[in-house]
Amino acid sequence: MRKTFFAAGAGAAAIAAAIALAGPAQAAEGDAQLSVLHGVPGLTVDVWVNGNRTLDDFTPGTLAGPLALPAGSYEIAITAADAADASAPAIGPVSVNLAANGNYTAAAHLGADGKPTASLFTNDVSQIPAGKGKLTVRHAAAAPAVDVLAGATPVITNLANPNEKTLTLDPGTVPAAVAATGTTTPVIGPADVAVAEGTHTIVYAWGSLADQNLKLAVQTIEGLHSAPGSVPGALNGSASSGGAGTAVATAGFGLAALALLAGAIGAARTVRARRAGQ
Amino acid sequence: MTASSTTAPGCRRRHAAGGGAAALVAAALVLSGCGLGSSGGAGNPGGEAVPMATMPPGTGSPGPALSGQEPTPTGPGGTAVPVRPVVPPAGGIPVRPATAPAAPAVSAPTSLTVAGTAIDMPVVPGGVSAEGVMEIPEAFNRASWYKFGPAPGAAEGTAVIAGHIDTTSDRAPFSALKSLAAGTVIRVGRDGAPPVTYRVVGVEMMAKDKFDGGALFRRSGPHELKLVTCGGRWLDERMDYSDNVIVTAVPA
Repeated sequence: MRKTFFAAGAGAAAIAAAIALAGPAQAAEGDAQLSVLHGVPGLTVDVWVNGNRTLDDFTPGTLAGPLALPAGSYEIAITAADAADASAPAIGPVSVNLAANGNYTAAAHLGADGKPTASLFTNDVSQIPAGKGKLTVRHAAAAPAVDVLAGATPVITNLANPNEKTLTLDPGTVPAAVAATGTTTPVIGPADVAVAEGTHTIVYAWGSLADQNLKLAVQTIEGLHSAPGSVPGALNGSASSGGAGTAVATAGFGLAALALLAGAIGAARTVRARRAGQ
Repeated sequence: MTASSTTAPGCRRRHAAGGGAAALVAAALVLSGCGLGSSGGAGNPGGEAVPMATMPPGTGSPGPALSGQEPTPTGPGGTAVPVRPVVPPAGGIPVRPATAPAAPAVSAPTSLTVAGTAIDMPVVPGGVSAEGVMEIPEAFNRASWYKFGPAPGAAEGTAVIAGHIDTTSDRAPFSALKSLAAGTVIRVGRDGAPPVTYRVVGVEMMAKDKFDGGALFRRSGPHELKLVTCGGRWLDERMDYSDNVIVTAVPA
């Protein structure tokens, strides 16, 4: 594996490079996070960002990153593995704009027509309510629109390449299958998809229906949890020094909960990309 | 880390006799209020396949296809945008199969003993109600571990175990928390793992109307055990205690 990363190109790029190299090379406050998914069957590639070979011998079904990048515009090109440069890309070059603190996945995949293409997906890294997980399904396969079934129940319908849909769920395992829209015969799965509390699980359907190599790829973004809004612990106040005695009671939890949710939304976020094998 | 502060009280009396808006929600909440029925309630039994809940609006938008765009990035009006260099992180960019990570193995706590007190009770996993309230058992002699956070014995973050301070007529063992001395030994039994021992380092009162869930339920940073119940003054107008009593203990 090549480990070399070149800092800059020519012209305007060189100026920007000189500025950037003066600063620290580590992820900085406000950096965007970019992951790259390879979803084109049978093609080992190199990925070039701004003319620099950034991923070498990148194989189908793998996920790279996240790479912390200062907000701005980047040019991504995908070439055959070990191309001398990015001048003859198989996909692209394409330009992407990454916002400060944004979280993105650039996916090389097949279009609905079977031709290789690339899509930039924006990953939702907002906080998830306590006790919930988030599941997004992205259609990145050479296939018509699909339904996603949990067991026998369609939970996402008529999802077309390159669209996505997101569900907020109780944590657990979803027995997920993908079928052509309006049908229940799986073209992928059923496969167990784990939805963890406080984690955004992103599932990509990729490959080609015609070539019978449809698969699922999974990306997880953890650390999006919220804390419970309160801890109960009393039944009647008999432990209080005030010692109110009679068993009058109350309700009002709903109002309290609304306040909690509102409070949670403004809280700070921490995003960590979960590493494989964790 | 997170710092979501709320104004929600949590300790409630059980038998609703209130009026107005409170009565409207009473029927639906009697099973989820104040820790009722965690283990068999309408909450969130762990591990099972789940009903699909909500679909936020605006999430069905397409991921913009990139192919066919201009090869040279340009800003508005065709001005050249400086091309930024790509500086890789130390150690390179992680590459891995795009498969689901294995769920980490967790040894759930099963029992809690606090030296010098009547606290010697089973611990059960508890989640959170739909309203965001930590679920704890109705029984005064059982405590609840927040199952979505770190477990006792974890490498980092806080393991939170909560219990009732009182019953409908008397004090429960957790009423002893507020007077625990520093150094008091706490022992937590675990499922499939040896017990872990902690030592009390502090007891604090946190006003319920300034509840800092992000600090109490943090998932990173030094590992601590937090024992939580209610305390302070009973507020008739809120039908709740003014504070949470929070005991902080560190691995012994």
